[in-house]
Amino acid sequence: MAQKEVLGTPPEGIHPTYPYKVVLLGSTSVGKSSLAYRYVKNDFKESLPTVGCSFFTQMLNMEVATVKLEIWDTAGQEKYQSVCHLYYRGAHAALLVYDITNKETLNRAKLWLRDLEKEFLPDEIVIALVGNKVDLAAEREVATEEGEEFARTRGLLFMETSAKSNYQVNDIFMAIARELLQREQEKARAPSPHGRSTVTLGESRVRTGCCRL
Amino acid sequence: MKSKKASSFHEFARNTSDAWDIGDDEDEDFSSSSSSFQTLNSKVAKATAAQVLENHSKLRAKPERAQSALGDMPTNCKVIKSSSEAQLSRTSEEACVRTPLQKQQSLPLRPVIPLVARISDQNASGAPPMTVREKTRLEKFRQLLSSHNTDLDELRKCSWPGVPREVRPVTWRLLSGYLPANMERRKLTLQRKREEYFGFIQQYYDSRNEEHHQDTYRQIHIDIPRTNPLIPLFQQPLVQEIFERILFIWAIRHPASGYVQGINDLVTPFFVVFLSEYVEEDVENFDVANLSQDVLRSIEADSFWCMSKLLDGIQDNYTFAQPGIQKKVKALEELVSRIDEQVHNHFRKYEVEYLQFAFRWMNNLLMRELPLRCTIRLWDTYQSEPEGFSHFHLYVCAAFLIKWRKEILDEEDFQGLLMLLQNLPTIHWGNEEIGLLLAEAYRLKYMFADAPNHYRR
Repeated sequence: MAQKEVLGTPPEGIHPTYPYKVVLLGSTSVGKSSLAYRYVKNDFKESLPTVGCSFFTQMLNMEVATVKLEIWDTAGQEKYQSVCHLYYRGAHAALLVYDITNKETLNRAKLWLRDLEKEFLPDEIVIALVGNKVDLAAEREVATEEGEEFARTRGLLFMETSAKSNYQVNDIFMAIARELLQREQEKARAPSPHGRSTVTLGESRVRTGCCRL
Repeated sequence: MKSKKASSFHEFARNTSDAWDIGDDEDEDFSSSSSSFQTLNSKVAKATAAQVLENHSKLRAKPERAQSALGDMPTNCKVIKSSSEAQLSRTSEEACVRTPLQKQQSLPLRPVIPLVARISDQNASGAPPMTVREKTRLEKFRQLLSSHNTDLDELRKCSWPGVPREVRPVTWRLLSGYLPANMERRKLTLQRKREEYFGFIQQYYDSRNEEHHQDTYRQIHIDIPRTNPLIPLFQQPLVQEIFERILFIWAIRHPASGYVQGINDLVTPFFVVFLSEYVEEDVENFDVANLSQDVLRSIEADSFWCMSKLLDGIQDNYTFAQPGIQKKVKALEELVSRIDEQVHNHFRKYEVEYLQFAFRWMNNLLMRELPLRCTIRLWDTYQSEPEGFSHFHLYVCAAFLIKWRKEILDEEDFQGLLMLLQNLPTIHWGNEEIGLLLAEAYRLKYMFADAPNHYRR
């Protein structure tokens, strides 16, 4: 965004705010709305099927900046995809969510990735692959390694989560925020011929890394 | 020759009498049917305008009165001020001011409604026990419904301001075109249609697990438990199975659209209304296992057919890329830009797109925005109004949006606006709010439907 300040070495006391648009994509009933709801309200409830999209926001105070995540939760049914397209336009990050108890949903997530790759250049968007519903471990159809491996080869962040039992939900959003800030920092540094920025962004790994904690 | 056109503002007011609540609605000289709503031409509009202007000048004589009425009337009426179109807008502003004047004086004190809206509670706004007027209305319905050949035009006219719950099931069957007007044919038709539906079940339902229908069934199966998750009635396996069958059969018989999320919601009002025929109160906690299988089958088949009739009129909402919805959202935007420039510009300023909130309004016919009892009341009118679901709904959406203009204009950023628009506080709404909403929608339609240039920029 044009008004965004350059993140280099911020002078003492200046704590910029960065708004980022994050979209949740994935098959029907994999838990997109539940992840958003858990993250923003720290609660779990039966949710209605999302129609069109719904919108949430969350502020994150990071060491070097405040990050405002604008989370767009989309409908999972394929029939809606013509509309979803409108929602992920201009996104800075995407969570591709699948259900670890349903292998087919991982395949759908891969198709979503293909769509995103058509729409965005690799450095334009942070993409995370998220295997939700680990509370249903007994019904698992997708091994952790399978998701992990796929994410690694495609340069995606990766985490398994449970919106129901509140497992790693904060972590995945935090990882995305860190990655976004990191890229902001790289961008700020790139045009400058002078040395390196001294700003550190926690232990956020480069995007080829897997960020399972 | 009988006049088929509404020719005065009075007729308009009478047609929406549940909102104004002025005097009785037994207008023997008003012979027109609901088709008159559609056919207002410019001549009529001019005549109306002239009359309203005349009334307006009378009103001017008592400015302080008009002023105070404007002060506490529903915000939706103020919108016209922002429109720059002199003649029509000005007159309609006065029309708008004028009628609620009387309404304001007859508003009863409203008791508190329980936070959890009860669907069985049709008089959610705390109306007193049946008034004389309501008894007369019910009598009128009973008379119409029991005549040898029900006069459907008359039935639509009576139903527009709301159908008494005692006669709603049969009225809905008639209004939707499912039940014939001729009394003698009804029983046979019902029997035949119910058999036909269960014939479909027998023929097709087993195919739900076959490969070509698997996706459809799976999606329905996933969505049904998520339909009305907070109402115990819909958590009963028997009820969920009924919904699954209805939706699956409809979907495979309509391959152009198939099943689309949102359609599941549309079964609910029919199911609840037809169930209410057998349940005195507390429908949302009723255990359907108490009903005989025959009764349950009738409710299921009737819900299927009435929902089918509804969907016939709005199928392009659910075909590929949902063109019906895209078109209607666009039309809503155009309409709002004409009737309330301030709200429209406010959205533009903060980069709110209509699609971001109104997609759901169209896809689910406002069902996600309103308590179920309000949807049921809304559908009394939609089924009485020509193209109620496919066209009039647009005006209802516009009226609904403008209803919140104050709250909208108070929000000063994108986030606040979206949060507001996604969670409009209608939990306490009842018949009265819907009545006002419909009256305003009717007024908008009356102004713009036959003057498309008025909403095309």
